[in-house]
Amino acid sequence: MGLRYALQIPQVAASVWTGSRSGRRAGSSIDFQDYREYQPGDDLRFIDWGIYARTDRLTVKLFREEVTPHLDLILDGSRSMNLENTAKSRALAQLAALLATAAANAQCTRAVWLSGEGFQRLANDTLPPSAWDNLELDSRRTPEQSFQILPPQLRRLGIRVFISDLLWPGEPLRILRPLRAGAATLFVVQLLARDDAAPPEHGNIRLIDSETGEETEVYVDSGLARQYQDNLNNLKQSWADASRLSSARMTTVMAENLSNSIASLEAEQLLVPA
Amino acid sequence: MIPSLIYPLALFGLASLPALAAIYIFRNRYRRRQVSSLVLWRFAAQSKSGGARIHKLQLPLLFFIELVALLLLVTAATGPRWKLPQSGRPLIIVLNDSFSMRAISAGVSARDRAGDFLEQLFRRQTPPSTRLILAGVEPRVTGSTARNWRELEQGLSQWKCREPAAAIDPAITLAVELGRQQANILVLTDHKPADEKISSRRLEWHAFGKPLDNDAIVNASRTAFGTEDRCLLEIANFSPRAHTVRLLTQTGSNAPQITLLAIDARASQRVVFNVPSSAPSLHATLEPDALADDNSVELLPPIRKRVRVQVALTNESLAELVNRTLDATGLRATLAANPDIVVQEADTPAAAGENAWVLHLTTRAATNACTGPFILDTSHPLANGLALDGAVWAAAAATNAPGDVPVILAGNTPLLSVRQDPTGRHHVTLNLDPALSTVQNTPDWPVLFWNLLSWRISEMPGLKQSNARLGTEVVVKTTGVPLTVIQPDGAKKLFPKPGAELALETPMKGVYTLVTERSTNQFSVNALAADESDLSACASGQWGKWSEDTEWRLEETPAIWIFGLLSLGVLTAHLCLASGAKGGG
Repeated sequence: MGLRYALQIPQVAASVWTGSRSGRRAGSSIDFQDYREYQPGDDLRFIDWGIYARTDRLTVKLFREEVTPHLDLILDGSRSMNLENTAKSRALAQLAALLATAAANAQCTRAVWLSGEGFQRLANDTLPPSAWDNLELDSRRTPEQSFQILPPQLRRLGIRVFISDLLWPGEPLRILRPLRAGAATLFVVQLLARDDAAPPEHGNIRLIDSETGEETEVYVDSGLARQYQDNLNNLKQSWADASRLSSARMTTVMAENLSNSIASLEAEQLLVPA
Repeated sequence: MIPSLIYPLALFGLASLPALAAIYIFRNRYRRRQVSSLVLWRFAAQSKSGGARIHKLQLPLLFFIELVALLLLVTAATGPRWKLPQSGRPLIIVLNDSFSMRAISAGVSARDRAGDFLEQLFRRQTPPSTRLILAGVEPRVTGSTARNWRELEQGLSQWKCREPAAAIDPAITLAVELGRQQANILVLTDHKPADEKISSRRLEWHAFGKPLDNDAIVNASRTAFGTEDRCLLEIANFSPRAHTVRLLTQTGSNAPQITLLAIDARASQRVVFNVPSSAPSLHATLEPDALADDNSVELLPPIRKRVRVQVALTNESLAELVNRTLDATGLRATLAANPDIVVQEADTPAAAGENAWVLHLTTRAATNACTGPFILDTSHPLANGLALDGAVWAAAAATNAPGDVPVILAGNTPLLSVRQDPTGRHHVTLNLDPALSTVQNTPDWPVLFWNLLSWRISEMPGLKQSNARLGTEVVVKTTGVPLTVIQPDGAKKLFPKPGAELALETPMKGVYTLVTERSTNQFSVNALAADESDLSACASGQWGKWSEDTEWRLEETPAIWIFGLLSLGVLTAHLCLASGAKGGG
């Protein structure tokens, strides 16, 4: 499916072409861009001594920054992404492969980061998705905790896509701000299973937290189902608000209905037809 | 302290405990479900109807409360009794309820003297509990346990002393069983015990009688004797001296007749005389003496029932033979309409009439002639008094018809058999060929017909006898209509739906009246008991003595109320907890 799509390169990252694409900031590439007055701290090597000789003013030459379009795929590797009796883990793998393929179609480099005891780069992530190692979704830590232990080495001005179910307590901005820092754009994809979106049927249920193993017993009735939906909506709203504050874009896809959820990724301008 | 259980079968109620546990187990069984995170299941305000996190402490608490309540209820249902230490002993009093206790000496009866003694005993020390046993013909426990003299007086009001006998020993046995070897037993009577050495440490025998001279009517009867009634009176002199007894008899409003009887010491004399059958009740009275109950009798005319018999035989000689025999019994009514018995040939259809019994005489020629004795069902009313020794009985070969019960058999040939049809009528089949037999010439022939008519009379509605002894049962045949019995003291007993036969108790002497919609009948009950009339053996004194041990003893005390109260409290607590948990969501 990914072959039909390409990653949409945001304007920030596509303004300069060097190599495949180039950035807007001045850099050290060989392409001259402009002059400007010397400011303390500028590299003395870029002073145009000819202008200084003619005008007695220190002027530095500016070159276009060489930027290669890059996708950082940040995956939630916690156990909740491998919820039993759901298509969540399969959907995560499919979605990551789709985005990696779409990035290749857009001639982007990519890195795939998986949360665990810190963020670790997925082996063979530069190869086609079929060559990737299996996604080990067995971490008891939330992505936020993993970020605090060892954050991913994200490429500056890269496109960052964070895929998670976002089901952990805490302030969304605490992870969205560092993810957004230095990125051309940040997409937050909430991947939910149908069981996450809807509470179980009525009756006595012993709930087991897939990550902590904590158990609780509840009697589910219509009142509780409404409260669950309210909690889910509140959670999604808090992430949406945090995304808006951090200039990230957020969308929710259903694991059991992944093919139909691609449209929402197109709507968020993450994917375009190849 | 192990409690004893009155109803140990109630322990089957313990089966409810595993049932309750099963209910809780199934109710608390949860489906296991893994969720991504419990973050969505934490609610600021919990649902009232559901969703509440179930607090494990509350559910087991309710469960254990219900468990305890069930245990207490089951235990209460078993009727537990605990042995608790008691300092006083309960008392069981055996009261002589025979009419000899009413014998008066110096204006006071033995019953009154015994009552005074009992009151004094209670004034000295009231036992913790007292029960009364009336020793009449059979021992009878009166009412419930008395705790004080006032309650005991209510029980003593049933001590009438009207019984014709006093079963003291069975009453003591009953008292020992009731007292479980722990209670003191007090016997109040008018004579000394048979064995004056009383070994029991729990029995005291007090007699309040006086050896008194007494004349009594000890036997009285009035029976049908042809057109007259024959009366028999037996008067006894229970004094140690011979003297003349003055007997006064009177029938209806006729002038009383005085008869002087010279009776030896401790002897009796019979007087037999006839009175017309039309004479009303006969009163016989002796002069007043120590005991009034046995000084008078009232004898009602005997019940004369006749049987209407219709002889419908076509064989004239046989009809003449049967008619002659029936007339000889003296039990045949002159009228034949609406008969009680129909005599007919066996092959003719059954006679009409809902109450008519049928005597079928076979018309078939005899094939065998047998000589008695024959096989007799001696328990059957028809065979009463029959011998048939040497009698020749010629009968047709036959076998029992379905439902026929043979009364007389010659080998396997039924000579006389009986059958009852669904309406209750009896059919008697006589397999006899008079031409070849000699039975009809023997004394057994009228006896057989007398038995038949007597049997029919016994099945007729009404009383069988008009005079009875005190304490015996009087049998009444009824047709199912409501019956009211009016006792001599005016008390009425209504039997709205009596069965076919009613046995009436006779607790007091006098005339009883039976009233139905159609008829009114009477019978008389007389106090005829020579043993009770003989006051020569009466004595006063005390035999036996309760041991005065003051050791503490264990007495079984019912503990049902304890478990009942406990279960009530536990159930109330359960109600509060359950309603509180429900209100709290």
